[in-house]
Order: sequence, then C-alpha cells, then structure tokens
Amino acid sequence: MLRGEHVMARLLRGRLVPHRLSPDDERAREVAGALVDLYASHLGRPRAELEEELSLLEEELGPRLDARRGFKILRGLAKLLEERAKWAPPTEADPYTLRTRLFELTATLPELPSATTTLLEGGTREDVLARVSTETGIEDPVSLMYADRQGAQLLSGFEPPTPAALLISRYNVAQIQGVLYSARDLSVDLGREADIRLVFHYVKLLGLIYTLEPTPKGHRLHLDGPLSLFGGTRKYGLRLAKLLPGLLLTAPWTLHANVSWKGREASLELTSETPGLTSHYKGPADAGEGDVREAFAKAWERAKDKGGWEIEEGAGVIPVPPLKAALVPDFAFWNAATGERVHLEILGFWSERYLVERVGLLRAAAKRGYRVLVAAPESLSISTGTLAQATRGYVISFKSRLDAKSVLVALGREDWRGSG
Amino acid sequence: MIKLSYESGTLLADVSGDAKPPEPFVWDGRTEQWRAPAGTYRETVLRLREEEIPYTDRAARFEKLSLESRVAMEPRPYQREALNAWRRGELRGVVVLPTGAGKTAVAVRAMERAGRSTLVVVPTLALLKQWYSILSGSFGHSVRVGLLGGGYHEVTPLTVTTYDSAYIHAERYGDRFALVVYDEVHHLPSPKYAVIPKMLLAPYSLGLTATPERPDGGHEMLPELTGPVVYRRSPEDLAGTYLAPFETVRIPVELTAVERVEYAEADAVYRDFLEKHRLSMRSPEDWQRFIMVASTSHSGGREALLAARRRREIRANAERKSATLESLLKQHWHDRTIVFTKSVEEVYALSKRFLVPGITYETPARERKEILDRFREGRYRAVIASDVLNEGVDVPEANVAVILAGSASHREYVQRLGRVLRPREGKRAILYELVTGGTGEEAASRRRREPVTGAYPGASP
Repeated sequence: MLRGEHVMARLLRGRLVPHRLSPDDERAREVAGALVDLYASHLGRPRAELEEELSLLEEELGPRLDARRGFKILRGLAKLLEERAKWAPPTEADPYTLRTRLFELTATLPELPSATTTLLEGGTREDVLARVSTETGIEDPVSLMYADRQGAQLLSGFEPPTPAALLISRYNVAQIQGVLYSARDLSVDLGREADIRLVFHYVKLLGLIYTLEPTPKGHRLHLDGPLSLFGGTRKYGLRLAKLLPGLLLTAPWTLHANVSWKGREASLELTSETPGLTSHYKGPADAGEGDVREAFAKAWERAKDKGGWEIEEGAGVIPVPPLKAALVPDFAFWNAATGERVHLEILGFWSERYLVERVGLLRAAAKRGYRVLVAAPESLSISTGTLAQATRGYVISFKSRLDAKSVLVALGREDWRGSG
Repeated sequence: MIKLSYESGTLLADVSGDAKPPEPFVWDGRTEQWRAPAGTYRETVLRLREEEIPYTDRAARFEKLSLESRVAMEPRPYQREALNAWRRGELRGVVVLPTGAGKTAVAVRAMERAGRSTLVVVPTLALLKQWYSILSGSFGHSVRVGLLGGGYHEVTPLTVTTYDSAYIHAERYGDRFALVVYDEVHHLPSPKYAVIPKMLLAPYSLGLTATPERPDGGHEMLPELTGPVVYRRSPEDLAGTYLAPFETVRIPVELTAVERVEYAEADAVYRDFLEKHRLSMRSPEDWQRFIMVASTSHSGGREALLAARRRREIRANAERKSATLESLLKQHWHDRTIVFTKSVEEVYALSKRFLVPGITYETPARERKEILDRFREGRYRAVIASDVLNEGVDVPEANVAVILAGSASHREYVQRLGRVLRPREGKRAILYELVTGGTGEEAASRRRREPVTGAYPGASP
C-alpha cells in the first residue's frame, strides 16, 4: 500500500479521479522496468545505497514521466516494490556491544581523543580503535559500530513482479486504495453472480460494520465502523481501502464511497468492469467446499422426483447484525407448492476456530427464524449433536460427496417442518 | 438492569426488555445494539449512579496499581499546586507549565494518585522513549512499562504510546486504562487525533503542555477532550527562582579558503540558473520546483542540480565546523555536553568521528535510556543528538549545549533552550550556536532568536 503522501487524485465536479498510469504508456513501463531492475540488481547491497540510487532515479526519470508529480509517482512505485523486498543485517557481530565499548573506553580518557596522532597527547582515537579491534577481532570497528541501522541492512531477497507491468496495475489499485484512506463510508452494489461470501469474509476480517439491503440486481452492502454512528469519521478509511483488493476477486459490483478529501466532501465511484485492476490478495483458503458444492449441484440436476423443490438462483444471505457477519449458505431451495424456503450450508474441512464461528452464525440464523440444513463431512471435528442443536435442524453427514437423495430426505422430513 | 460492555472504541449497553439506557446512548440499527462513544464512560457511570439505575460493568478492564515512585522527589511548590488543582478538577484537566519546569514530575505524581492502569500518549518517538525511561525509573520495580508504536507492540497496565499509534490501536486497548496522560496536549485537538479520547474509557485524564493555544483555535476543544486548563504558569512566573539562567555564545564559523572558493563557484552556477528561470527560493515547494525545472532543462539543468547539491554539502560539512566542535568538546570534556545537529546522518558521522554516543529517532528505547542514564551518572561526557531531543526531553545534568545547525523554527529553539534550563544548584548553562558564515544560515539563526530575546532573562547576549 502507498503512504498518504504518495496518493494523488483529481477532483472533478465532486468526484475523485485517482491517479492512474496507463500500462500502454511506454514511459511508465520504462520507469517500472528501471525500478524493478534496480531492486533486482541490488541483492546483497545496503539499503542506504539503494535509497540514494532511488533518489537519483527520481530526479532523472521522474520529471520525464510527469513534469510535476514524477518524483512522487516513482516514490510510490518504489514503496510497492519495497513490499516485495527482504532485508538482512550485514554482520553477525553485535554493533550495540561494539559501539558501547567504544563509547565507554573513550569516556574514560582524560581528554577527548584527537582524531590525529600527535606526539604529546596520551590516548588517541587510533589507540581506542586498536584496543577494541584486539578485544573483538573486528578489523574495522568504526565501519560496523552502527551496522544495525536500517540503512546498513542488505537486500537478501526480492520477488520481482513479472511482467514489470504488473507493478503498474498494482500501483493503480494502490492509488484507489489511497483515496479510500480518507473515506468515511462505502457502499457496494453486488450483482447476483458476485461471491458475497467472499466479500463477507473480508468485512468480518477487517472489523467493519455493515448493513445489507436487497436490490433488484442483488444486494447493497453499506460499510463503516463502530464510531461512524456518532458522525462520519475517516478512522475506518484504511480498512475500507484494504477491502478493495478483496472486492476485486469477484464481480460484478459498483462501489460508491464518501470521501473527506482535503477538507472537502467528495465521492469515489468504481465498478468491477474498470479495466486493468487486478487483486494481489490470494482469497480465503478453500476448505474443499467448492468441490463438494459443484458435485452436489450436478447430482441435484440429475436427480428425479424432487418433491417440488427447486434451487434458487444466486446465494441467499442471512444477515446476523450483532455478530457483524452474515451467513451465506451454499444453496437456497424453494418449494413453489408450499411456499417454503430452506437453506443448505455445506461445512468444509475447517479449522476448529472457524467452525465455532460458523456454528454461532447458524445458531443466530435459526433464532431469526431461518431454516438452515447443514451438511457436514463425517470427519468434522465437531459433533453432529452440537450442530443439530445449534441449527434446531437436521444435520446431513457425508463422506466425501453429498448426494441429492439425502438432502431430499432432509427437506421432506416432517419433524423438520414442524420445528421450524 | 443495564449491562455495559466495551467494543472497538465504543460502549455498548445491553438492556432487558423495552428499557432504554440513558443518554448519550444511541440505537445502532446496523448491529441492533445501544451504543455510545467509549469516551462517555465516566459520564455514563456517574449518571447511572445518580439516577440509581442498577447496572453491571463489563466494560472497564483497568486495574488498580500500587504505583509508588522510587525516585525520591520533593515536588516544587508550583508542581504541588498543579497537582492539587488537577485533583480539585476531579482528576481531569490540563496543566500548563513552561518547558523545563518538570511537567513529567507532575504526571508521575498524578499516576501515583490515580493508582490505576495508565496510558501515556506522546507526539514523537523520541518522547516515547524518554517517557519509557522515566516511567521505568520511577515505577519499573513494581510494573513493567509497555510501549506501543515505533516498532514496539507490548501493552501493559502502564504503557507509553504515540498519538499516531493511539489513533490506530486505541479501539483495541481502550478498555484497559483508567488514566490517560496526554503529553504536549496541544497535538490532541487536531481533526485526526481528536477521535482518540472518544475510543478510550479512561475516566481520568491529564494534559500537559507549555503552549495549549493552537493557531486553528483547536484548543477550544480541550475541555471536552481532556478537561479544562486547571493550572497555568508562564516562564516569567518561574524565571529566576526555578529556571536556571544561562548564557548564549554565538560562534560564526568561516569556511576555509578552499571551501570558500568552491562554495562561491557552486553558488554562482546555482544562482545563475535560478535567475535565468526566474525561480525564487523561499519554501520547500520552491525547492521542488527548482528540481523539476532543472531536471527537465536541456541547458545547464544538470550542472545546476550538481551545484546545488555541492553547495549544500560544503555548508553542512564545513571543515571548521567540526574542528570547532572538537575544540568545544575538548574544552568541556569535564562538563556534560549535548550536541544538537540538523540531520540524523550527521549524528552518526560525528559519533563515529568522536566516538561519543549518538541519539536519533532510530536509537532503540533501551539503549537510549542506557545512554542517558550513563550521561546523567557522568559515565558519558557528551551526547550527540539530532532533532529528536526536541520537545521537552529531560536531561537534567546537561550544562553545555552546542547547536550545530537548526531549522528556523521558533518553537524548536525555545524547546531546545529549555533543555539546559533545568534548575540545578549553582549551575550556569552555556549554549553555543555554530553558524556557518556567508551561507544563509545566519538569517535562520536570527529568526530563531527573535521571540526568545527578552522573554527569558539572560537569553539575549
């Protein structure tokens, strides 16, 4: 992510246009390439030198790229490369011990040791250095006495963005994130095909507070933080910014953010259709649910005699506001004859902590009158009894594949209907 | 029955049935809860008690600490008055004392008095480390002092943090402290930092500063944020009796003949370019403009850039400057000398040259404490520091200060002077200012001095 001082945007009729580099721009690609090369060729050399060379590059290439803001753009790009770099200390000796010894010895002298050797004076700087050199076995103590400074660290690893144009795309996302640092709130209109569960994963992770309302095309998610209730604050801007790469993992959506920009109220609009924006997030780990889900969908399609039950398009969302989360079950079934709606949640091979959270959501959903069937693999680290109790429902156990029949049996159970 | 709990910088009230919690709670439809800013905790509890509404408190997680400073200190009369005024203000309010009057001592007393988990919020990493030293020195025998910010993330019942870190992390730890001390509290009423007290339950707070007034009028928010000014003394009130008189000595440093020729050459190239392109040089923006024009210009731009750089180097590294410093260090080898430089790099260069410890914002907290402790004990004779020792850093035993070059800031200059203004029996502090001649640093030096002259007895030479 960029630092605040690297962020640039134009304000056009109340709308913010974050600074953007075109991946087709020859000069931008040249600059990105030069920076990547600089880092790549710097392996094993100190940070202070890199910083010096960066500032030279800034002065040389910056104004050619953009007369006014070139140096800022270069600094921003370098900051993003810095996130891909690893640094290591240059010596195994402890510089702190070394310099402390030098200071102590010097302070015991009756007068400040002269820098040059003279015949008349007692202790000189050279004497102090020679003594410490003998004590520690370090040839040149002065060169290592501050080796623990950041500038002395050596570049020990660098993962170059390949191709270098990837840096430009990362930069463009980072500039939008930078504008969001100053956001007071954000709303996203998520289309039905969007992976809303993924979005909630990040909402929860970032400790944001949401409200959700249905729209003709899907859902509108409004996001801010606990203190926003008492007047808009930019306090949660950083978290809203961190949400963006998460959003970029899915589509379609449009977002609108209210931004306090340099003392003025402005807005930022963005859609998932904007070209050239890619996420650098890897997305939450899939716990094998995806495969189970797909296999089940196919099995359901093939199944005969479904007793009037149909799978609904798009994910059903069960908001659980007090938990600041939402349950997004895998399937929603609709029975046209009876008007019943039942959700199916497939539990993957989750860690225990995640399961506890999931069960909490299931319990809350059941309390709110939703009917949720739970399908859990036999090997799950939680007892089906606990699950059944949490959901007031019926738990379907499966080995590796969930078949349509057992779900239909569950859907048709009388006691299930009775207890809802 | 109302159940109070803390969540992310806010206070939640769980009420049974249709009951409503008192103001300032607001129904939060987003999460279906009653919510108020955490900063209203004191007000809320007082109201619940007054109206005899039964409640349980699951919000506050601060603890009682038996804090007793092991550093024996007889408070000066005005420090005692300040503390009493703060107590009369029900452990809330701002104390205004000039730099060097021992604001920290007032805070240490206030912590003893409150006897509960305390968070100290400071504006700079240097102050973070300084408070760490002071609190470890005073209370370290009974409480481990925590640090939050500047690469440290250890929160204990007695923690020091920065305004920046508090802004980010207060919502995670806002339930753990009963007292908040805001050092240099004039930083608090900014649009950004003003949210910090809202996230903290702390019913008690103490603000410290020498100058609460802000040009943007933000000080009017102080009563709401941390309480009103409960005690105030100006430097004039305390001068003579409590602040040691000091002497300033200004040493002009001439460039050597070689440097002078080189400087003149570089300066001519640089100034010709400025004139040719009608550039002025009054602000940092002007400098950026110069860089931009020079690096895009095809004729003489590169030369102008190099000349500008060379010019700066000559000025910063003037040979006689460090030679003069060497002679001052020699002369005062048996005093306690602090050398202030403009840049961090200069600190390390001088530290390597003279083998005298250097302190910058990079210096780890524990090492910094060790250096200053040894300096106090006399085991180190001199310390070289960059701008980090700016705001109110406490180095009581220093009686000589050398300013190598400073930026032209009034505030900074006053604060730096404050360092050697530590009252000490029979002490006369000397402040040397080394200014390179004929290079423009003189004007900066003059600017720095103006507001001070006359305000402090003995300040004008």
